[in-house]
Amino acid sequence: MTQIGTETVQDTMNGSGDDKPMIIAQDVEKWYDNNFHVLRGVSMTVTKGEVLVVMGPSGSGKSTFIRTFNALESYQKGKIFVDGILLSHDVKNIETIRQEVGMVFQQFNLFPHLSVLQNVMLAPIWVRRWPKARAEEVALQLLERVGILEQAKKFPGQLSGGQQQRVAIARALAMQPKIMLFDEPTSALDPEMVREVLDVMRSLADSGMTMVVVTHEVGFAREVADRVVLMADGLLVEEATPEVFFNSPTEERTKKFLSQIL
Amino acid sequence: MTTTFPPSSSAPPASNSGGLMAWLRKNLFNNWLNGILTVAISAMLVWVGMSFLEWAFTVAQWSVIPANWQLYFVGRYPNDQYWRLWAIFGLVAILSGLSWGILARNTAQLFTKTALICLGLLGVFGVIMPAPLTSRLLFLGAVILLAAAAWGGRQLGHSVAGIGRWISFAWIASFFVVMWLLAGGFGLESVSTGNWGGLLLTLFISVVSILLCFPMGVLLALGRQSSLPVVRLLSVLYIEIIRGVPLIAILFIGQNMIPLFLPQGMRPDNVYRAILGLTLFSAAYLAENVRGGLQAIPRGQMEAAHALGLNPALTTMLIILPQALKISIPAIVGQFISLFQDTTLLSIVSILELLGISRSILANPSFIGRYWEVYLFIGVIYWLFCYLMSIGSRRIEASLNTEH
Repeated sequence: MTQIGTETVQDTMNGSGDDKPMIIAQDVEKWYDNNFHVLRGVSMTVTKGEVLVVMGPSGSGKSTFIRTFNALESYQKGKIFVDGILLSHDVKNIETIRQEVGMVFQQFNLFPHLSVLQNVMLAPIWVRRWPKARAEEVALQLLERVGILEQAKKFPGQLSGGQQQRVAIARALAMQPKIMLFDEPTSALDPEMVREVLDVMRSLADSGMTMVVVTHEVGFAREVADRVVLMADGLLVEEATPEVFFNSPTEERTKKFLSQIL
Repeated sequence: MTTTFPPSSSAPPASNSGGLMAWLRKNLFNNWLNGILTVAISAMLVWVGMSFLEWAFTVAQWSVIPANWQLYFVGRYPNDQYWRLWAIFGLVAILSGLSWGILARNTAQLFTKTALICLGLLGVFGVIMPAPLTSRLLFLGAVILLAAAAWGGRQLGHSVAGIGRWISFAWIASFFVVMWLLAGGFGLESVSTGNWGGLLLTLFISVVSILLCFPMGVLLALGRQSSLPVVRLLSVLYIEIIRGVPLIAILFIGQNMIPLFLPQGMRPDNVYRAILGLTLFSAAYLAENVRGGLQAIPRGQMEAAHALGLNPALTTMLIILPQALKISIPAIVGQFISLFQDTTLLSIVSILELLGISRSILANPSFIGRYWEVYLFIGVIYWLFCYLMSIGSRRIEASLNTEH
């Protein structure tokens, strides 16, 4: 298993951080352009160091919801605070928040025209304005942590899906974000590659990173999550610890969902 | 039941080529219909080839080519200033050689068989071309410069870091040097564009138009995708209006109408008006080629860039545009080739580029009726340059391939 962030072991000893809220969503509502009401008043708080897993059937709005946290999706009603900053439509604000929030996508979305190393170095150089040497040093460290160091000079198209997703994680971490969002990170992977990506995410969680993970991986949710929520039809249906969520859920909708996936 | 798998082998099975006869039978005579077609078409090809050779060696009067050799290549450029054109030729040979050597610095061999054949052909051309001895020696000298610069570029490429950037600067700087040498001024006798002609003028107009229409086309393509309605509308209007007008109409407007609107002293030279027309025309088509590339980039690329905190300008410059341009290379080079060929239309608006000068040669009473010889000769020249561009396009595509 890969080790990530051994220097932040203190954080893990405090349990789930110091309870400082990192993301506060209040009654968030969103309509798509075709007037489909995709988010119908979702409220949620994620505290520092917490790992929150969002589950739910497809079309429930879970991906859309976490994509509002870094303004990849806009919303029409309600409020979202990220690290204390109100996420408004002001462009300046959006770019500040995006620098603090890393995101990993279902389809990896690596930049195919850049090498693995250049993918990881790009944002620190152009957004954080780091000198090239420092960006390269940090990038190589991160690639070593996700176990891709020997592939640094290759291009994304030459790597397997699992390797690409690990590079994507390293790329997001290179900006030293305070929060990491994972949008179904293992859904596009061949089954034998799911494990290597989940291992990286697990060790990232152990290092105290605040994480919001949309996933169907029940095993990961059980072992790593501090809290699991179920979204259905644009609403937050149930919110519980993994033990309660998977063993004795209160809502009928949750029971139905679990019966379908377990 | 037990299944026996074939033993695994590390090499692919040898392709069984059963010699010439087997190849002929497989590709040309695999059934009676194809057999008949093969015989009939071969007979036709032989007949056409024989007729052509017979014409070329007995009927054709090739003297029209050597007699006007300098007109084809440089038009009426003053004889005593030819050294300036040779200086340009040498400069371009050196820079091309350096670029070639630097680009090929990591290959196993610089002078591959193909490269040697090309250099050899250039050398043979230099020896047999119907020009004064000094011209032939200068041409051979330039070929040697090219090869030497290639060798030197390879050495530099190994020893000097960031040499690629310097060679780009050198090309940009060379453009101004070339302009100075061509047009004169600043201590050189000035030669007006009216005296430029032939291949020199064709290449000058093509290169300048290509250099100008590329950035303009990219900007128009981006404008067409812009989120600002005014920018988008103006880009769409420009592209659709230009694409609805034939090039020859634009060239006529440039040559005949623009001078009517401008006072005497401000009328631009007709060569520059031609460049303007070609540039404005090609930019609209180029914009559509680039737009095709932009639309092929998955949405996830932009989202990933945004999620990393890159602003829209950086996202376009670093992520979207490089990928879109790479996809559009074949279409863009196709557009450049069209532009190069479209320069022939300038002969209609009385600019003496390669085709224009050929028409004026054919109008000379001593060469009346030599159409075949002249058009065949310049046809080969046009083909050569177009073919070079398409080889270049394939080389660039291959070098940018990051899939394997």
